[in-house]
Amino acid sequence: MSNTRRVVITGMGIVSPLGNSVETFGLNLMQGVSGIKRLENDFSDQLEINIAASADIDGTAHFSKKELAVLDRVSQFALYAAQQALDNAGLDPTNINTDRTGCYLGTGMGGAASTEEGYHRLFRESQSRLKPFTVLMAMNNAAASHIAMHYGLGGPNITYTTACSSSAIAIGEASRQIAYGHCDTMLAGGSEALLTYGTIKAWEALRTLAKVDEQNPAASCKPFSADRSGLVLGEGAAMFVLESYESAIARGATIHAEIVGYGTANDASHITQPSVAGQARAMQAALDNAGLAPEQIDYINAHGTGTPLNDATETAAIKQVFGPHAYELAVSSTKSMHGHLMGAAGAVELVATTLALQAQLLPPTMHLQQPDPECDLHYVANHAAPQQVRYAMSNSFAFGGTGGVIILKKS
Amino acid sequence: MENTFETVRTLIANKLEIDKETITPDSVLTEIGLDSLDTFDIIFEAEDQFGIKVPTPKEEIKTVQDVANLLDQLLLEQSPSLQGQK
Repeated sequence: MSNTRRVVITGMGIVSPLGNSVETFGLNLMQGVSGIKRLENDFSDQLEINIAASADIDGTAHFSKKELAVLDRVSQFALYAAQQALDNAGLDPTNINTDRTGCYLGTGMGGAASTEEGYHRLFRESQSRLKPFTVLMAMNNAAASHIAMHYGLGGPNITYTTACSSSAIAIGEASRQIAYGHCDTMLAGGSEALLTYGTIKAWEALRTLAKVDEQNPAASCKPFSADRSGLVLGEGAAMFVLESYESAIARGATIHAEIVGYGTANDASHITQPSVAGQARAMQAALDNAGLAPEQIDYINAHGTGTPLNDATETAAIKQVFGPHAYELAVSSTKSMHGHLMGAAGAVELVATTLALQAQLLPPTMHLQQPDPECDLHYVANHAAPQQVRYAMSNSFAFGGTGGVIILKKS
Repeated sequence: MENTFETVRTLIANKLEIDKETITPDSVLTEIGLDSLDTFDIIFEAEDQFGIKVPTPKEEIKTVQDVANLLDQLLLEQSPSLQGQK
């Protein structure tokens, strides 16, 4: 990114199926712990596929009753992750120029539970009135707006919705706000809370969900394995504090990693089927933006959903972009453990990528037992692997075709 | 109708997590921490408790007693049992 400012990550926060702190998430991630389990709630017996990766968080521990009355689960996740990120960055919002601080957030379905609760009241309970806060809880931009209100962030505030790449796009675009000098600090990430009856039913109908592994439900998501059968829905959030390199150095902040490249492109071909050309375009755009040769990338945190089509397509796209180096670099899909967090996936996986750079340890692709001839790269199968990593790429692709790819450099 | 005020006061105290004794009939809603949306949320909960439906109020709702009066008026108009007692 010539003639632009360097952008660094100085804070991270997370709410996830693998824990609600970066430390816990990292420990579980590197030990191959799966957060996927059978759902046990008032509708789980009505599901054909009753597994998911839910986040275990008690809203009442973090928010007052008055706050909870207007915060959908998706906003609770985002706010809690944002607070962790600010604490981690050692940043007090009252001490920064909040006019030049913004929040970009990605979400696929926003306040899905609030939307569904409204419909439930109207159509199931035949009531004629909805809660006064229904619109405000359901709207997609609520989470980012609450973060701005809570911390007084008067800079740009934009919510991105590009399905499963939403938060990768939000983070990438936020990095540009800093790179181009429009903002000094950005809170960026994603949040998703769509494990509702109606949403899971809609995913069931799409026939992309993984079959339950009856022997071990936690192992149901099997990216790049020949016996993979689909994705597992997850929920959670991850937020980052991004700032200019100069700002981080000036205040003596710990730099977790540097964002050196961001690329986005659209498949422009099919609403669900991924395209090799589209995915390759997004990865190449990120490499071009970083000014890196393909050979310089050591690790790719793959989109790796565990669907038969995605994993084969992504493997082919990596080969197209990286040529012979595709067989040298390491690729892993951490969705095997935390599931597919949809609009929050890119953000949570960027935390995983950052941790890989910091620890020089690659998180594994779990439950990869049966090699697939179409997926013939080095996938860090079943065990974390120590490896020198200087540059790492995080891939996010999506229904609707928008890919978002971010390249990090070890700090 | 003392009970209506008592109900409204309990709903507000519960929402704001404050001691209900601090809420008087003259308490101004905005001063105790309820904006117009919060007030509609309180009215929404009261609607459920009383089984009535509150149309968009014509008069300004400023104090806790205003909320209670609005509900009382509607209770008289809409509740069949109360009408029977008249």
